[in-house]
Amino acid sequence: MTIQEKVSAPAMSPLERFAAYNKGEAIDRLPCVPIIGNTAARVIGVKVSQFRGNGHLIADAQIAAYRRFGYDVIRVFTDLYTLAEAMGAGVHYPEDETAYLESPAISSIDHIERLRPADPLKDGNLPQHLEAMQRVVKALGKEVPVTGALTCPFTTASFLIGAENLVRLTIKNPEAVHLLCRVALESAIRYAEAIIDAGCTPSLTDPMSSSTVISPRLFREFSLPYLKRLIEFIHLNGKSVTLHICGKTEKVWEAMADAGADCISIDNDASLSGARESVGHRLRIMGNVKPSEIMLQGTPADVRRAVFDCVAQAWDSPKGYIIASGCSLPTETPFANIQAMMDAAREIGWPVAPEKLTQ
Amino acid sequence: MARKIKQEHLQELSDAVLDMDEERTVKAAHEALDEHIDPYEAIQGGLSDGMARAGQLFEDEEYFIPELLMCSDAMYAGLDVLKPHLKQVGESRGTVVIGVIEGDTHDIGKNMVRIMFETGGFKVIDLGRDVPPQRFVDTAREEKADIIALSTLMTTTMEGMGTVVRLLDEADIRDGIKVMVGGGPISPGFAKRIGADGYAVNAAEAVKVARELVA
Repeated sequence: MTIQEKVSAPAMSPLERFAAYNKGEAIDRLPCVPIIGNTAARVIGVKVSQFRGNGHLIADAQIAAYRRFGYDVIRVFTDLYTLAEAMGAGVHYPEDETAYLESPAISSIDHIERLRPADPLKDGNLPQHLEAMQRVVKALGKEVPVTGALTCPFTTASFLIGAENLVRLTIKNPEAVHLLCRVALESAIRYAEAIIDAGCTPSLTDPMSSSTVISPRLFREFSLPYLKRLIEFIHLNGKSVTLHICGKTEKVWEAMADAGADCISIDNDASLSGARESVGHRLRIMGNVKPSEIMLQGTPADVRRAVFDCVAQAWDSPKGYIIASGCSLPTETPFANIQAMMDAAREIGWPVAPEKLTQ
Repeated sequence: MARKIKQEHLQELSDAVLDMDEERTVKAAHEALDEHIDPYEAIQGGLSDGMARAGQLFEDEEYFIPELLMCSDAMYAGLDVLKPHLKQVGESRGTVVIGVIEGDTHDIGKNMVRIMFETGGFKVIDLGRDVPPQRFVDTAREEKADIIALSTLMTTTMEGMGTVVRLLDEADIRDGIKVMVGGGPISPGFAKRIGADGYAVNAAEAVKVARELVA
């Protein structure tokens, strides 16, 4: 291929972009991922609650959202509770908003023997989510990485017994927490296997392990061992792992790397430049445009500025950087702001010219 | 001598709360009563002092949510012992109506703020979670509240906070009631935009903001 042809070549597909980026070859722009969950419902004009038990519709929405914006990772995600729901937790589905936990699976640790690991092919809405993943992979798997959201053991444990109960138990009865995490891990491993069988990569999320909630010491005791085993399992199946934790995470970045994560997704309570400095040589970093303040409530100009600022902090991180929102986008995030994020990534282009980023 | 003994008892109450030790707190509360220490003083100088120190450790990121919850369990256990012996209730700093906005059931953050308000000398009316905006307004009016404190973790429900402010305006009682907001997706900018009077990033700060608002 001559240089001439290369310049006028069409944009790379996300898979081509990642392949080249991973090898340190030339790319057309940094990968960019506005993390789209229920916002996909808006793209095809359906209510969020219609996603419940409807893998076909989730797939249609995710496919349409990708085609509209052209971002670099598809993540099949509606809410954090699918795994806990499959183990008996009660989930409320408002008509047109993200689902939330209504009742934990058990009210007391005395009932722990009632908990069984989930069967992904039968329990709750897991089969429908797996169907969604299969459909998206079938439609787009040759051009873009398709991932399926997987809630990690400590967070699922909090949905099994209630968050306040769980955090009390971390101090009062650590062994009970380990029992809960163990059964949650078993569910997570089974679901991870099913996600991989569907042709997808599990995309890990563990908000309760945030240092906004528990101390780094408790993270090492209750989150790390289970993350490690889950990630080990996924690695054995040949997939790389992105781990998202919301809120403050600075003091657990090293532990997230120790858990085996290949990429960490951090939110706006954490510093991208700090992450680059401390763990950028161990793993890839993605983040952290503010989902609420900038993506939901800001203007496209705010989004552009925020993307430039993020890239300035982390574009040269040794193991790579992915432009992303700090967390899943709020459902009503304006399309113009999602578009502005993609446009900013294209405007910055490649190679990144750092002097242009501060303008 | 008496003064020294009193100081020691207050210190023990405070330390037991800070050390998350429910049994020790209850024991210390009984001992304080046995020594004829004024229960009001035991609460203020002992239990509340322990929670205030816990709040400081929380701000310093030495304590996290589990530790703060365990401290508050100890504090409430001590309170159960001392409260029946209170001769008069001390001057309240003001009345706060608190709750999580309709559509959201995440209430750990709200519970933390309630605990810090209660130990900070406020009378707190907790409406719980998933609370319709109108209920905040009705309760605030009935209870002659000084502050309405609103929490949410979800962006889908944050606009409900603006609704509370609007309803207060419409009911023509906005002037007497300060509104403060907090929670994951809430920023100072958002608080300003909806016309709230205060924003706090965490429970320890919330009680400081509340004190300023009613000062």
